[in-house]
Amino acid sequence: MERIGVFVCHCGINISSMVDVESIVERVRELDGVVEAKSYKYMCSDRGAQIIKKSIEEKGIDGAVIACCSPRMHEPTFRGVAEDGGMNPFTVEIANIREQCSWAHDSRERSTEKAMKLVMSSVAKARLLEPLERGRTPVIPNALVIGGGIAGIQASLDLANEGFRVYLVEKDPSIGGRMAQLDKTFPTLDCSSCILTPKMMEVYHHPNIDLMTYSEVLSIEGSIGDYRVKVRRKPRYVDVDRCTGCGDCVTACRMRDRIPDEFNMGLSNRSAIYIQFPQAIPLKAVMDSETCLFHRFGKCGDGPLCVEACEAEAIDFEQKEEVAELNVGAIVVATGYDLLDPASLHEYGYSRSKNVITTLELERLISSSGPTKGEVRLPSSGERPRSVTMIMCVGSRDETQCSWCCRIGCMTALKQVILLRENLGEEVEINILYTDIRSFGKGYEEFYRNVRAENTNFFRGRPSEVRIRNEDIRIDIFDTITNKLFEIRTDMVVLVPAVVPRADSGEFARMMNLSRSGDGFLLEAHLKLKPMDTFVNGIFIAGCCQGPKDITDTVAQASGAASRAAGILSKKELENDPLIAVVDADLCSGCRICISLCPYSAIEPVVETMAGEEVVHAEINEVLCQGCGACVAACPSGAINQMGFKDNQILAMIGVLNDCSDAGGLK
Amino acid sequence: MSITDMTSMAEAQSDLRSEINKRLERLILGVSDYCYQCAKCTSGCESHKLLELEPHQIVALLKRGLIDEMVNSEIIWTCMSCFKCKERCPQKVPPVDILFALKNLTVLTGKQVPGDYTQMLQSVMSIGYIQDRQTVPTRSGDTVKREDLGLPVLSGLQDPNGFQNIITASAVEKI
Repeated sequence: MERIGVFVCHCGINISSMVDVESIVERVRELDGVVEAKSYKYMCSDRGAQIIKKSIEEKGIDGAVIACCSPRMHEPTFRGVAEDGGMNPFTVEIANIREQCSWAHDSRERSTEKAMKLVMSSVAKARLLEPLERGRTPVIPNALVIGGGIAGIQASLDLANEGFRVYLVEKDPSIGGRMAQLDKTFPTLDCSSCILTPKMMEVYHHPNIDLMTYSEVLSIEGSIGDYRVKVRRKPRYVDVDRCTGCGDCVTACRMRDRIPDEFNMGLSNRSAIYIQFPQAIPLKAVMDSETCLFHRFGKCGDGPLCVEACEAEAIDFEQKEEVAELNVGAIVVATGYDLLDPASLHEYGYSRSKNVITTLELERLISSSGPTKGEVRLPSSGERPRSVTMIMCVGSRDETQCSWCCRIGCMTALKQVILLRENLGEEVEINILYTDIRSFGKGYEEFYRNVRAENTNFFRGRPSEVRIRNEDIRIDIFDTITNKLFEIRTDMVVLVPAVVPRADSGEFARMMNLSRSGDGFLLEAHLKLKPMDTFVNGIFIAGCCQGPKDITDTVAQASGAASRAAGILSKKELENDPLIAVVDADLCSGCRICISLCPYSAIEPVVETMAGEEVVHAEINEVLCQGCGACVAACPSGAINQMGFKDNQILAMIGVLNDCSDAGGLK
Repeated sequence: MSITDMTSMAEAQSDLRSEINKRLERLILGVSDYCYQCAKCTSGCESHKLLELEPHQIVALLKRGLIDEMVNSEIIWTCMSCFKCKERCPQKVPPVDILFALKNLTVLTGKQVPGDYTQMLQSVMSIGYIQDRQTVPTRSGDTVKREDLGLPVLSGLQDPNGFQNIITASAVEKI
């Protein structure tokens, strides 16, 4: 640009204490093309914005260099100010003289010298910047929600109630997720199903929601505003339009009570054709082809008993897998969590005794729809336990397993104390072996206090092992409160396992192009300020797929993610950042290196016929391109340029930093 | 089922613990089970500084049902009943009242009460004070009597027999 304004920020004293701001202003004033140079204490303030706008108006500047903090902080601010003032926002260049200068050094003289060079090199670049225009993409006003637990249900309902079409994809035969497996919820002791099933029904009957159960996302293409998603719909071998959910087929099945029931954590058995749980939505049978005799061997006695039993004639062995193609503008990922398999802590004997169970298994034992119809009984003998001992933090806060806190274990165990007392009477002995009790939520501490008064024995410490000899279970626990070693004899041990990422979360994240944090949970764009966003525009996360959380927080995050998605879907079109890579087709040799490198699949080969010969060159989709620059750096022909970071612009900057006096035409 | 202290091989006295808790609930507002072991009581305990009483440990042992261990120990008699712990406990647990209950239990079960304590009791029963009127040294090193300071004369027991009957009756009731 030809008329450049330079604006140097003091940043309070963050910059000015280590950099002589005024000397920079004086020096740059003399540079070619610089028609304005000013400093101000807080350039990002409203007053600072006024200074820039005034310069645009009065001095007619067409390019600006702002010497301030990192462009990650305020580049959008200053582009906005320039645009407001009537200048092209993409001729604004940031010189970072705070993070990369004043904060990093301790000599005022040399910091000033460095800041001077940084500002001058930015001026050199600004002289070569070009005005850019934002492209526009239309938005498809549909949403995809992946996962039908409480997070996915909440996000779907919020989006559907806003008037958007929602595709809710759930891999299980029914929605409901983990919450459907729980008996009661802390701290209110609401019956889990009673508060969940109305929401499940609402999803099922909502005119804006397409519920796709027993389905999985296969692939995803496109970008914010226009994603194309393939969904695999697994065959149920049951015609859902005919099935009435009566359960006659389940009772008739020859494999009845012979297959471990996943919903009851293997504590009971189901048939090969089954309904996941009594409140399942949709309430339709599903046939498990891996255990169905007819599927495995081509025959089932004299003929499949389910077919015989089904009056609605809904059984259909001929059903095939289908692939649905969806077109959506935004996606909410709510894929949930797994519990750590406590067998990985061999010392606690989970695989050595039937009477060592997990909290989720106990939840099924307490539930009236569970394997014992709500009577808590020892899995080994069916007798009433006289003593139950809960071991907290099994694998949590443990550097050999999971370093994080599961955030639900303490409250789950405390809640189960109350449920066990309801179930087994006041006389049952309950021991809690804990490291810390973390009761941080609203109403949680009060809940904990009530449980403390329930004649519960709290031992502070972790046992080293659970000693098992047939029905005899003993635990040594050194209690750090009394500094004594106790031996506890107990009937049943309940382990509170760590919350871990879904087993397939790595594969899933790769398919969706999402990042994961070190713990394996999906990574948010900013832990505090963008907890529902991901690094892929238009894809949001909610619930335990992002990290352990309770139902309260999950629902809050799901509504937040839905609201973020609605922000996109409610727009007719989106503006694209023009700072993307562009191919010079004449220079491109068609080597395809860039195509394999692009993390966003934004580059495609284009075949053209030139003078009777077929030539291939790369073409970049400007919507998909995120401007990462990987292709620019890799192109052996130098055919790709990044807008706003063109070779001549960068070389001019390097020239100044190298102190070539004539670089970029600077004095 | 059972909880055993592996050092002393003592079994937790769960029934006795419930019994003491029931009495405490009758006598006072707090329940010892609410204690979360912050040890604010011990941090401020005057007896801790001189005599190593740890009120939070007393509550912890009660919660574990190790009651004999405390009843057989002289440490429960070192509480000077200043009531600071009761006043300041964030969970409204009164270690001082628990100590009273334990001391009562000791007397009830006929266990040995420390000699100084017996002397003090006898003094109260006979003259109404834990010790007879004495001269005290002042900061300036003088030795003074109450009268020298212009304090009123103490009356002493008017009806020693009646007083002793009341004390005995209420002590039995409390135990």
